[in-house]
Parts: sequence; C-alpha cells; structure tokens
Amino acid sequence: MNSTTEHLIRRGLRSCWENLSLNAMVVSVIGAALILAGTYLQVIHNLDKVMTSWDRDVHISAYFYGNDPSEHQFSIMDEIAAMPAVEEVLHLSEEDAAVFLTERLPDVAPIIEEFGAEVLPASLEITLRPEYTRPELIQEFVDEITRHDFEEIDYGQEWVRKFESFLSMLQALGTVIGSLIMIASVFLVANTMHLVVYARRPELETMKLVGATFGFVVTPFLIEGAILGLLGGIVATCGLIAIHSLLFARVGEYLNLAMSNESLVFLPASWVTLLVLVGVILGMAGCYKAVNKFWKAAS
Amino acid sequence: MIRLYHLGKSYGSHDALVDVNLHIPKGDFVYITGPSGAGKTTLLKLLYGAEHPTSGKLLVGGIDASKLSDRQLPHLRRNIGVVFQDFKLIPNRTVADNVGLALEVLGMDRNDISRRIRAVLNTVGLRGRENSLPTDLSGGEQQRVAVARAIVNDPAILLADEPTGNLDGAMAVEVMEILLAVNLRGTTVMVATHDTGLMNRFPNRKLRFENGRLVKS
Repeated sequence: MNSTTEHLIRRGLRSCWENLSLNAMVVSVIGAALILAGTYLQVIHNLDKVMTSWDRDVHISAYFYGNDPSEHQFSIMDEIAAMPAVEEVLHLSEEDAAVFLTERLPDVAPIIEEFGAEVLPASLEITLRPEYTRPELIQEFVDEITRHDFEEIDYGQEWVRKFESFLSMLQALGTVIGSLIMIASVFLVANTMHLVVYARRPELETMKLVGATFGFVVTPFLIEGAILGLLGGIVATCGLIAIHSLLFARVGEYLNLAMSNESLVFLPASWVTLLVLVGVILGMAGCYKAVNKFWKAAS
Repeated sequence: MIRLYHLGKSYGSHDALVDVNLHIPKGDFVYITGPSGAGKTTLLKLLYGAEHPTSGKLLVGGIDASKLSDRQLPHLRRNIGVVFQDFKLIPNRTVADNVGLALEVLGMDRNDISRRIRAVLNTVGLRGRENSLPTDLSGGEQQRVAVARAIVNDPAILLADEPTGNLDGAMAVEVMEILLAVNLRGTTVMVATHDTGLMNRFPNRKLRFENGRLVKS
C-alpha cells in the first residue's frame, strides 16, 4: 500500500471516530431507509413466492358436450396427453363427476339421484408441466385445445392473472417509492455529512490551499461514507430480522396462507447483500455530494 | 519567476487592483507594502490562486495562473508556500500534523514526512513541539508553525501576508530571519507588510501599493 493510500484510509477511519454523534445519525438515516426498502422487498418476495406456488398448481378442466361419445372423448384425451405441455390427463366420466361432487357436497346427492349422473358433463382434468404454467403459456395451451370443441374450458387462471397484474403494479409502485426513499436518503445523508464537512471546514480549506486535489480531500470521506453505509446496512439487516420474527412470522401464522401452504420467508442472502451494498453506495453518494458542495463553494 | 501584465481585480464596483505591471525575478526578496486596503492581500491571493483576476495576465513560473482550471490549481499551489495572516492552523491537529499536511498532499512517504517535519521545526526553533496542539502555543510559535508548513516542501515561491503582524519585536525579527534564510536557499519570497521598522532593518526591494495601484517598484 503506498503512502497516499495509507494516509487516506487513516484519515477516513479517524474521521469516523472523531464525529461519532453525527456519524451515528448518518447510520440511523441509512438504516431507516434500508429497513423501509427491505420491508417492501420482503412483502414483494413473499407475494412472488405465493404466486409461483399457485402457478405450479395449474389444473385445467375441459368439459365435453353431453352427447359426445366416450370413444371420441378418449381419442381427444390421447391427443392432449401427447402435447409437450401436459404432465397428466385424467378422464372424468359423468359417473366419476357425480361421485366427485357428492363426496365434496353431500347436499347435492338427492338432486343428482333424481336427475341422474348424466346431468354432469364428462371432462378431462389436465395438469400442465411447471415450465408451462406462466399465464401466457396457459392461454396458448387453452387456445390450442379449444379446436376439440369442448363445451367449456375452465382454468382458474383469470384471477391469478389479475393478481399477477396487481403484483406488477405493486412492484412498479415500489420501484417509484423505493427510488424516492433512496433519493431522500442521499439528501439526508448529504445534509448530515454537510455538518461533518462544515465542522472540518478549516482543515479542508487549509488542505486546499496547500495544494490538495479534490480526490485527495474527498477520498477519506468516501471511505467514511462506505463504512457508515455498511454499518447502516448491518443495522437495517438486524431491523429486518426483528421485523420478520416479530411481525411477518406472526402475520404468516395468522393468515396460515391456506392457498399456498407455505410460510412467510426472510429475504434471500443475495437480496440482503444487495441491500447492504445499496447502503454503502448511499453513504458514499451522500459524502461525495457534501464534499463536492463544499469544494465548489470554496472555489 | 512572476510576471504581471495589466493585472486588475474588481469586487463589484470596487477596484482592488488596477493595471499592475510587475516582474519579480527568481530568488528575489520583495516587500509588498502600502496602507490597509491598498491591495496587498489581493495580490497575494491572485498569486496563489485563491482569486481570479478580472483583467490582465498573471504568469507564475511561465504558467498563466489566471487561466488554470480547478484541476490544475493544486499543482501550482504545491510550488507556492503561503504564510497566512491568521495562520490557518488546524486547531485539533498537532504541530506535526499541521506541518506535514503540505507533504501529505504530495503523497510523500511517512518516514520522509517525519524526517522533514523534524528538520523544518528545528529550522523555525520549534524542536520538541511536534505533538503540541496549536492552541497550546503562543502567537509567535503559531506563526512559526505556519512558516514551517509553508517552507517544508521547499516551494519555489513563498508568500507571507503580514507574517509579523501579531508578533512582538524580537519574535518578528526571528520570523524575518527565517524568511531570509529560506530566500538564501533560492526561494522567491514576497512579504506583504507595513512594518517599516522591519523593512529598514532587513532592506530589500519594495513594491508600494495605494488604492490598488502599484505606485513604487
């Protein structure tokens, strides 16, 4: 390590110790901003996970007309089973459908007895392979099997699609809000760092007058900003873990997530790393902005 | 070393310097004198790039200092030592830190910095005060720290703004002797002062300013 680098790192570390109260404020600001962003990411991550589990569970029911001969139904079934998107096809005859329905809704049993099992249509219960469960691929598949002249094709994807649109909207909204939070954080950090810079103005002015370059002056502040950002990131991670165990986990238990059978999870390690990295960038950006403002004013 | 061509500096409607033409050869020792508000400090500020001239040309070592960008200015300043009227010492840094600052910006090795700090503090009579804070020093000692910082990197030019203004007679003489010693090593020295006693005791070329104009060279 050359002497200039050593000197710059020494000054950056020294400054962290010398302005403890102001630096604690910077760490708090960065920590708070990242907790907000992290909480939002945790919500999105869990919603996305629920969506994926729903997508994995796609079943399509294709109902035959009442007069469709069973030989024809089985030949269609064979054709559909040969399609690459299909994992499994089950044929449900009128009788199977009646049994299926009376098992689940015993109250309708007398009606079925009175009108006969043929009141219910025979159907194919199709399960798609996981890689074909995206809404647009399901729609393609449904369009393709429509040529077989089914009376009705039912796939509960319409509301999943709506939910996915809602999720996309939430993500877009989150991006906007997240960006605003980050911009506000840069300003807050910069203003707090401005106080640190102001407190050290005589030193910086003197440095400038003895021939220090902008890089020489700003680098220790960037090191300081990176350290503060890192600490802010660690604070935010601890805060998010606390929020997850105290709030998210309990909400998860309460909701029981009946539709997905999965519990709410904490952010993946890569996301947490990214969040801490954002903290480091926030700290550095705030410090750069503060020193740059001082430097321009001093010019 | 320093050439001024029709140099002017205005602050709004106030002319601080008007049509100054001047040549100061390398190794010269020059007093800049005149009453308060004559333009002495303004001239020094223009020379070390703290201000930009409103008109004219300012050559320092052949370089047009008035046209230097913010990126180039630090390199000019590294060749100019400045002793400020108010010392500009960093109060919470030791004497060694204050003096070493001019060497740190050059990227000098720590051992070399320590060696040169010891040598220069010896020159200005502050040996053993390396770890003192400026606030623990007398006015004269602070002035000598400021001189030490200005000369520690052997600048080509040394500018001193009223370097003896806050000192008693004996201390003022000591500081002047340090500046003359620096000049003897080949550094061009410009001292802004209105202390006629000192100028008579250490006679050198005088540049007299009045109302921003150079009236005697």
